[in-house]
Amino acid sequence: MTTASSDLLLMLLSDARLPVAGHTQSAGLEPALREGLTDVPAYLRLRLRTVTRVEAGTAVVAMHHVRAGRPLGPVEAAWAARTPSPAMRTTSHQLARGLLRLAGALWPLADLAAPSSRPVVLGAVGAAVGLSPPSLARLVGYDDVQTVSAAALKLTPLNPAQTTRWVLDALPQIDLLAAEVAVLTAPDEIPASSAPQIEQWAERHAVATRRLFSA
Amino acid sequence: MTTLSLRADPVGRRATVRTSAGVLRPYTLSCDGASARICLVPTGALLLAGDHVQLRVDVGPGAHLELVETAGTVAYDMRNASPAQACARWDVEIRVAEGGSLRWEALPFIVATGADVRRRTTVQLGAGAALWLRETLVLGRSGEAGGRVRSRLDVRREVPVLVEDTDSVDVGSRVVDSLLVIGFEAVGGMRLAAGGTLFRSLPDQTHLSSVDRDASSS
Repeated sequence: MTTASSDLLLMLLSDARLPVAGHTQSAGLEPALREGLTDVPAYLRLRLRTVTRVEAGTAVVAMHHVRAGRPLGPVEAAWAARTPSPAMRTTSHQLARGLLRLAGALWPLADLAAPSSRPVVLGAVGAAVGLSPPSLARLVGYDDVQTVSAAALKLTPLNPAQTTRWVLDALPQIDLLAAEVAVLTAPDEIPASSAPQIEQWAERHAVATRRLFSA
Repeated sequence: MTTLSLRADPVGRRATVRTSAGVLRPYTLSCDGASARICLVPTGALLLAGDHVQLRVDVGPGAHLELVETAGTVAYDMRNASPAQACARWDVEIRVAEGGSLRWEALPFIVATGADVRRRTTVQLGAGAALWLRETLVLGRSGEAGGRVRSRLDVRREVPVLVEDTDSVDVGSRVVDSLLVIGFEAVGGMRLAAGGTLFRSLPDQTHLSSVDRDASSS
């Protein structure tokens, strides 16, 4: 078992160089831009209020279940019931597989059913490396904001300082989200905030023939 | 509270319908051995500040209920009410026992500018129960920006099927038209992980919704 500080472990898990296929993701930004979205910071805030909130809440509850020795099936079911878009579930399962392959080689993980969702695997990884619930929720929120902002640079002509400013400006909202979901322990408590437009864009993107990002 | 229960007749003659009227009054339009068609009629002006509509629907084993409405609902401007009253609630609790079904093509729910509404629809389905449930949220009457509506849909069988909190500020379109189909034939739409299909359209005008077209190919 590792003895590194939790700061370093969090940095490792949030690093875009971690080989978990983060570069294939735009967190829905590519279809959003194609459908006419212009205000990317508003899109970041919308995600943090909705889909990312569901994901962060799921991860925290999954981690709690691993630590308490409870089964993860009900957490997985709660997440799936809050993720009606098959395209978004498929993306999550794909990312989970990559993360599981990597993390399973590094840490002893809880037994996970296949397919697992990304937040449930993140919860298991968080439990294995000893993250705190707020740190795990911050990881989910930060990763989402960075994914959108990094993808924006590839999809539209922008100054990198501009997209980094978006990330910086979103950090307080990530902290608020983390504080809100860090206390959750039961699947029924996981937020269910819906973003119908993001779902619809994800569904269309899944069958789009011209795309740079897989989702 | 409006309550409504339907029990199939074991000898197949005429199902038992029991109702009690609240803000909505149920009228039985037709009824046979296992199924009934019931109309929900508002008993007064709806939906005003401070209103709390409560509806409980209970469909027994093997019974089939269809609910219809005479008109859509408008939630009116609530800003003149005292702060504690400046909102309204609309709660629906549905139970469909094993082998039963509920079909409810609810008519549009229009949230006028200044209205603030919390809706909650919970559905508990028994084994093999079927559900056809429509929800059309419309922000504003013609030419209005619309008010605020927060709507929770919580549908469970032995596992949760669909749990969604829709907040009008996060929607991004004027209309959210949703049709949840569980246990009835459905082609297309979003397949839910626990079974069932969600058809959804986000048009700017209700009549431009693709839900009827998408679901009719089912």
